[in-house]
Amino acid sequence: MKKKFRIYKPFMIAGMQETTTYRANWIFYMLGNVLGCFVSYFVWKAVFLSDPDSSLNGFTMPQMVVYIFLMFLTSTIISSGGTYDIGEEIRDGTISMRMIKPISYNATFLFQELGNKIMTVFLLVIPLVVGVEICRTVLLGALQFNIALFLLYVLSCVFAYLINFFFNICFGFIAFIIKYLWGANMMKNCIIGFLSGSVIPLAFLPDIVQKILLILPFASLNYTPVMIYMGMYQGTQILYYIGLQVFWVLFFWGLSKLLWAVSTKHLSVQGG
Amino acid sequence: MIYVENLKKEFKKSIKEPGLKGSIKSFFKPDNEIITAVDDISFHVPRGEVLGFIGPNGAGKSTVIKMLTGILTPTSGRCEINGQIPYKNRKNYVKEIGVVFGQRTQLWWDLALRETYTVLKEIYEVDDVQYKKRMAFLNEVLELDSFITSPVRTLSLGQRMRADIAASLLHSPKVLFLDEPTIGLDVVVKDNIRKAIKAINQNENTTVILTTHDLQDVENLCSRIVMIDKGRKVFDGDISELKKKFGQSREMKFVPVDFNVVESLNYAKTFNLSDDDVQVESDGHKVNVRFNSDKVSVEKMLNYTLSEIHVKDISVSDADIEEIIKGIYRSEVEV
Amino acid sequence: MKNIKRALRMHRIFVTQELKRMMEYKGDFIVGIIGFLLGQFFNIMFLWIIFSQIPSLMGWTLNQIVFIYGFSLIPKGLDHLLFDNLWSIGHFTVAKGDFDKYLTRPIDTLFHVMVEKLQIDALGELLMGIALICVTLPQLAIEWGIVKILLALLVIPFATLIYTGIKIATAAIAFWTKRSGNITYMFYMVNDFAKYPSTIYNRGVRAIITYVIPFAFTAFYPANYILTGENPWFNIGLTVLISLIIMVIGICIWNIGIKAYESAGS
Repeated sequence: MKKKFRIYKPFMIAGMQETTTYRANWIFYMLGNVLGCFVSYFVWKAVFLSDPDSSLNGFTMPQMVVYIFLMFLTSTIISSGGTYDIGEEIRDGTISMRMIKPISYNATFLFQELGNKIMTVFLLVIPLVVGVEICRTVLLGALQFNIALFLLYVLSCVFAYLINFFFNICFGFIAFIIKYLWGANMMKNCIIGFLSGSVIPLAFLPDIVQKILLILPFASLNYTPVMIYMGMYQGTQILYYIGLQVFWVLFFWGLSKLLWAVSTKHLSVQGG
Repeated sequence: MIYVENLKKEFKKSIKEPGLKGSIKSFFKPDNEIITAVDDISFHVPRGEVLGFIGPNGAGKSTVIKMLTGILTPTSGRCEINGQIPYKNRKNYVKEIGVVFGQRTQLWWDLALRETYTVLKEIYEVDDVQYKKRMAFLNEVLELDSFITSPVRTLSLGQRMRADIAASLLHSPKVLFLDEPTIGLDVVVKDNIRKAIKAINQNENTTVILTTHDLQDVENLCSRIVMIDKGRKVFDGDISELKKKFGQSREMKFVPVDFNVVESLNYAKTFNLSDDDVQVESDGHKVNVRFNSDKVSVEKMLNYTLSEIHVKDISVSDADIEEIIKGIYRSEVEV
Repeated sequence: MKNIKRALRMHRIFVTQELKRMMEYKGDFIVGIIGFLLGQFFNIMFLWIIFSQIPSLMGWTLNQIVFIYGFSLIPKGLDHLLFDNLWSIGHFTVAKGDFDKYLTRPIDTLFHVMVEKLQIDALGELLMGIALICVTLPQLAIEWGIVKILLALLVIPFATLIYTGIKIATAAIAFWTKRSGNITYMFYMVNDFAKYPSTIYNRGVRAIITYVIPFAFTAFYPANYILTGENPWFNIGLTVLISLIIMVIGICIWNIGIKAYESAGS
């Protein structure tokens, strides 16, 4: 275990340095996303102004605000860029080089991203969590922070990240069919964004749709951690949804293994 | 044709400290230092010459090429090519030069190679008649016919390089800049590329400036070389001069009859030579002795060797240019 | 005159190459177009779901909001279709050192970069925009006059130039910083504000998207004129003026950036 970590540690450091090297670029990216949150914020504010009873599908205005920013925070934590990297490698053929190296591609990539994430946590997540909590306290009139729920949220985020990580790797393999992933990736992001509740809470969707989405992996990405943090799920519900997350992690991990195996075969037949 | 005087280029570079702490620190407060990539370089190239530009990695070769092609503006000093200053009125200047960066391509990646030439024809405003003539010529020299209809992304590295060179020559430039034109190519392909460059140089009297790590390129192509290291010019002249100046080293090769007695030879002690002046290598069959002919004459070395042991075969030759340059790089690094 | 003729000719040549490229990767481009269509579709779903809960959004009906949304996609899509290559300058062209290519060519760098690529994916946005306008227009009681029709058509290219100008300016920052793609991205996120009536924002935000990063002029103000016929001087006139100012600023930054690049390289 320790030896394994030593192999992959350089990748982690490289990931951290990447963020540092292009720090201005990184800050602007985050700022852009925060701005996107504010658009949603104003739209929702207008929505709640138009509605007299000021609670929609179990969400009050302050809850909606917390939801929007938590959604952003969670998406940032669990984001993963494997699709492009794999896609690029398939396109230019370097993937065959990966296959002959004695280290796992998934692991190198995971560690590189972890390096990135460490920087993100230091520079963004901690200030934002504090911000969200202050915001909640002011809006609701009392301190809402619950350490147990927060720890469960962190755990749920880890699983959500792993689902996203392996899912993105799997998705990258469509580069064998489609050369330019831009459009396909865009399509994927839109679908996931909507179906995982980033755009609108799943509670706003028709009952039957909601039930299906909660079982499918989409909700396991953003929605589950956010709902846990907000205290919308109770005792056994939390266990059930985290259990579901674990299932999806294993599912996509297995699928990515399978796809590697199949494409290795494919490459050796096609000769790269 | 090309005049370069006291050319200098400085860059700002950010320094990074290692580890997590360093990463976080440089996130908030990056440090900078000034690096002199090219330091006071001067040379002159007459029309029709093929100049080899050599030096170790990071010596500043590419920076010089970028200044000569108008991509970079020098910090100080001047260069004049064909009566024009590259970084002034660049659009006009680049019509007269061709540039190939071996590591990059200027071809349209997803399209048939021929399409690249039709676009470049428009960019450089080559008229139809001239274009036809030109393509016929480039075809003959670089043998593009077999792959001109293939998409660029499917070309082999050698084909791509030929295609790139052709692309840079479409508008009949007076000067051709080649930045590592043979990088990553196999021996046969390298040879083809060299022949093509030679043919172009001879047919059209095109001045060629090339950078390379391959000394075969230099020996086969260049009438002159400029060597730079750490931004400074360390040598300027033709190859025989280089050999004269740095090439006192000779190589004696022999095949002994009985390999066991080779150990009895001790050149260093016999002639009182330092390790730098004599090196002995053997592969269990042949023995290679490199020595400095300033310190000990070829005759003495031969006499001593033949008097001590019996040999089946023996020869003495100039060390090749690669060895010479390696020696210079090494000593420069040590300084 | 000669320059314009040559520019148009170059543009045609590049577009032809891009269409040929598209034919090489038909499937990819279709996926791209569908991707963008789908993205917009989900945004409309969002509006639709919200309006199923409330009768109107601060006095705006669903039809009006969808119309504004649809209108916002036209200039955005046009800029995206024609000048998307500017994105790659800030994202990787400069950082990877591939920008040198443009500097060794005898045509204007900015022009070369702008016309080199055609982003067919943008058809997804354009189609969606046109569809939304077509669906909502008959349901909106709009008084049409010849002047209004002309102004509505006139404003589109200028609204497009607001996007292009901002993209030029932000892409050019890469000449100093090597990467600036995310600055462009940040500005693009601001443009999301323009998809909705600016009356839903507080005064600060409204001032920013009107006078600082004037994306409100790419959609809401022109669309508002079409809907209400009010303030043509402000809604249309200022759009034209601002787009020209932004283009000038963009081109200036680009030219200064090229100078900085020449002295620093990559």
